[in-house]
Amino acid sequence: MATLRAIFAHPSGRIGGAIVALYLLLAALGMLGLTPHNPLMQHRVERLHAPDSTYWMGTDLFGRDVASRLMTGISQSFTVAFFSVAFATVAGTVFGLAAAWFGRRWDGLVMRIMDVLLAFPAILLALLIVAVAGPGTWTSIVAIAIVYTPIFTRVVRGPALSLKTREFVDAARTFGSSSSYIVTRHLLLNLVAPLTVQVTLALAWALLTEAGLSFLGLGTQPPAASLGLMLSDSRNLMETAPWLMIFPGVAIMISILGFNLLGDALRDVLDPKMRRSIA
Amino acid sequence: MRRLATFPLVLLGVSIVVFLAIRMVPGDSITAMLGTEAGLLTPQQRDALAAYFGIDQPWFIQYWRWLLGLFQGNLGISSTYGRPVLGVILERFPLTLELALLSMIIALLVGMPAGIFAATHNEKLSDLGVRVVAMIGQSTPNFVLALLIIYTLSAGFGVLPAMGEFSPIWQDPLRNIGQLLLPAVTLGFAFAASVTRISRSAMLDVLSDDYVRTARSKGVSARGVIWRHALPNALIPVVTLSGIEFGYLLGGAVIVEQIYALPGLGRMVLDAILQRDYALVQGSVLFIAFNFMIVNLIVDLAYVALDPRIRLSEH
Amino acid sequence: MVRHIGKKLLSGMTLAAMLGIAAAPVQASRATLHMAWSQDATGLDPHKQTAFSSLRLLELIYEPLVRLDANLQIVPAIADSWQFSPDGKELSFKLNPKAKFQNGAAVTSADVKASFERILDEKTGAAARANFLSIASIDTPDPATVVFHLSQPDVPILTAMSDVNAAIVPASEITAGSIGTTSIGSGPFKLEKWDPNSKEVLVANKDWAGGATGVDSIEISVLPDETAILAAMRTKQIDFALLNDPLVATLVPKEASLQLNRVPVLAYHVLQLNPSRKPMTELKVRQAISCAIDRQEVLDTASLGEGKVTGPLTIPALATDPSQLFCYKRDVEKAKQLMAEAGYADGFSATVIGATGEPPTAAAEAQVIQSQLAEIGVKLDIKMMELNVYVDAWLQGDFDMAVALNGGRADPYTMYNRYWTKTGNLQKVANYIDDTLDSLMQKGRTETDPAARKTIFADFEKHITEMSPWIWLYTSYSYTAQQKNIGGFEPVPTGSLFSLAKVTIQ
Repeated sequence: MATLRAIFAHPSGRIGGAIVALYLLLAALGMLGLTPHNPLMQHRVERLHAPDSTYWMGTDLFGRDVASRLMTGISQSFTVAFFSVAFATVAGTVFGLAAAWFGRRWDGLVMRIMDVLLAFPAILLALLIVAVAGPGTWTSIVAIAIVYTPIFTRVVRGPALSLKTREFVDAARTFGSSSSYIVTRHLLLNLVAPLTVQVTLALAWALLTEAGLSFLGLGTQPPAASLGLMLSDSRNLMETAPWLMIFPGVAIMISILGFNLLGDALRDVLDPKMRRSIA
Repeated sequence: MRRLATFPLVLLGVSIVVFLAIRMVPGDSITAMLGTEAGLLTPQQRDALAAYFGIDQPWFIQYWRWLLGLFQGNLGISSTYGRPVLGVILERFPLTLELALLSMIIALLVGMPAGIFAATHNEKLSDLGVRVVAMIGQSTPNFVLALLIIYTLSAGFGVLPAMGEFSPIWQDPLRNIGQLLLPAVTLGFAFAASVTRISRSAMLDVLSDDYVRTARSKGVSARGVIWRHALPNALIPVVTLSGIEFGYLLGGAVIVEQIYALPGLGRMVLDAILQRDYALVQGSVLFIAFNFMIVNLIVDLAYVALDPRIRLSEH
Repeated sequence: MVRHIGKKLLSGMTLAAMLGIAAAPVQASRATLHMAWSQDATGLDPHKQTAFSSLRLLELIYEPLVRLDANLQIVPAIADSWQFSPDGKELSFKLNPKAKFQNGAAVTSADVKASFERILDEKTGAAARANFLSIASIDTPDPATVVFHLSQPDVPILTAMSDVNAAIVPASEITAGSIGTTSIGSGPFKLEKWDPNSKEVLVANKDWAGGATGVDSIEISVLPDETAILAAMRTKQIDFALLNDPLVATLVPKEASLQLNRVPVLAYHVLQLNPSRKPMTELKVRQAISCAIDRQEVLDTASLGEGKVTGPLTIPALATDPSQLFCYKRDVEKAKQLMAEAGYADGFSATVIGATGEPPTAAAEAQVIQSQLAEIGVKLDIKMMELNVYVDAWLQGDFDMAVALNGGRADPYTMYNRYWTKTGNLQKVANYIDDTLDSLMQKGRTETDPAARKTIFADFEKHITEMSPWIWLYTSYSYTAQQKNIGGFEPVPTGSLFSLAKVTIQ
């Protein structure tokens, strides 16, 4: 509760929080079907209709309302981004901490496995998962999560190695704190800053990777919409119907602004050093 | 360097995983070549083609054969190029390496100063400006950026870098840079945005650290604190990120290579996967994995250089 | 520094200079046609390659015995003349005495015999083998004469021989086993360099029996993104390009300096139902689906109206008026009634598969069909797949419905015998056959009178659209774009770029 209040006290936290809340609201409305038009309804006489008072963001190749599709697209994209980043963060943090803390052989083993994963072409991975499980939302989530796990592992391991040797960890150790206490209490808290930034970066990446997967037919399946699919579908219509590219593009941009501002605020609020300096 | 000794083991792991993965995906070299016409083949014809592509044996025998070849320095023959895999890869690699280096240079030259500037002007208007630009960079898919650049240049100015035939840097350096500049800017934009954010955050983090504050209270100038004390520490996350991004770029940038029609590794791997050129997929993934490990090794060495307190466990 | 340069100065030229871009002026001494396409050839063996882009390249290098012109009439290529014996069981060719391979050797009857024996050899793995099974033996009475002895009258075989998949290759190269690694044909161009997925260089074959070519060489660049091809044409880097995506092709006419060539092709967009799966096993369900689909609307949306609604016969000389075919006018009431009669008044659920980007309109077609079928209670689930995965599922007949762009042939028997005869190799994909279809196809194969053939295939078309195993939708265009100073290109319905041999740069 205190954290939440602190975020609202933070200027970027207020703006970022408002943006994210707005998106969540739009996504919820989209999910509940409370959109200006039916996002799947094809108004075929009004194909590629420029934005006007009926269709606020125009219509697409099928005469579907872009504004409505944007709302359902946000809920789809957010689902994929949140879940994939959450999986990758948890897995990456666990692996990264384990590698840094246990060192030696564990470090080598974990990091080499991550090398294998990093070297593996994401497309091949997605093809494989699709072949086994069929295309769809969860396929995208799993594929993106596996792609980003090694990144989180490395991001956590680097600073963790550095922190491990810092005075306060040594101090804690001499006071007889247990390993698990030190890892969770000291290391993890000090990793919040790099992690939150990485999470906000990864959320942006996840939104865009989903676009790449959709582009190859491995992501969200039509006629459902995701911000990425809308963008990649718009590429050959860029000159004919620019609004098809502009609105999803801007939607992604603002959502990422929201994530970033909120992330910055979180970082400031959660960072123990910052807390000390504020106190 | 005990680390180097683990390389073959990792590569072995990579090769088995890739070998199995590509064979588990439906479709094979025959359907890739003939498409739906493959249905016109008699079973005998199919067997003959399978023998031709070397996919007529159980997978472990195929793998064993491939592994034996590998020890003789032979990665196999690519079915699309009809040439040894290693030759094809090495032909594509200089472009990929050059593009990755160029993008990283652009990213670091733009991103680092921007990040440090934003950190030292925390929560001021100029900080906000830098952050907004970084945010745009981060959130623009590179295919959108590439298409916008190409459209603006060709429709607006009537110019475009020479597409199609790529000139290696040792043949025609001017043409080479002309061809790579826009793709590098396209890739570098997002990369720079990440560097900006990471370095800003790391810098803020370090600036609030005890020893920096101590140094400051001892009367070291703000500039001195930033350059001598804060920067080396703030560099660690930047190095991590750059290492990962650079490693990724060495694996090829598929979409950017597609749009700018550059014959790099990324397109080659994608085409090899789509055309089920098994030998080429295996060889190139192995090659990319090797590069990753080298880059990671360099990154780890950089940690040691930046923060002498870190001792790599292997040492 | 840049700050001092006024915005106006930052014109195209300065930008070009800054980027180190060579304007690449066309040299008068050596005319080179700069060409681009988005998909590259996948191999060089003319008997094994069936990919569209491979055929387009190989048609410039290799020659078959005969060729098809823009009206799909058979015209001479390597053979000067040909004749069927009165009983239709002997087909003889007189070869052009001037025909020469690019290694200097003359094309003889021995090469023709060796080429067809290679195609018929199961070890080769030639997909076109299926079209030549009626060949019992090949005689070579003299170096310029070839006689094919057929086991039964086979009219379509001549059209099948016009395909580059039946190209004549040197017997010496067959013996050497080098077909596919070297490329020695008798066509207008020699392949000088091939860098797969990147570029090809073709140079004029001075010894070509067809005379001098209009340009000295053709440089083909692979530009995977068609928007980038258009951009490169705007800046005059590319003279001539092959385009697949109607969304891009329709932008070409907006450019003053560019010209779009389009020609209706034989390939057809189709919704394949799988009549071996419930409830498509029911005739009335299939007919209901046919009645519920508005073909024109699929065409208008997915291809921006670029094409023509078609029945199964896409060959202009044989095609009938599609509006006369079963349910080619949308009738939702009739569809609902048929569904109710079949016992599916409440509809059913099914999955439709499509290949990503192959054709580029596949996803859009599936979505329009999905929305149209929803009106009669059919709930379609769309699954887009990578091309190879799709081909694998398609060949195994592992789908409820599939959107496809199937290739056409200049002869309806060659085009459809694989699907709609009892012994068709792709019966396991089509999963539907009846006696009427089979006997009409067999009659069409042996009938030599063109008027009688037309009636036979008209009956075939009427019957198959009524049985509705597939829902034929439309044929689209094959597009090429060119600078206006390029002359002499003649697009043909097979999509062949053979007339590049006569193209000139003014």
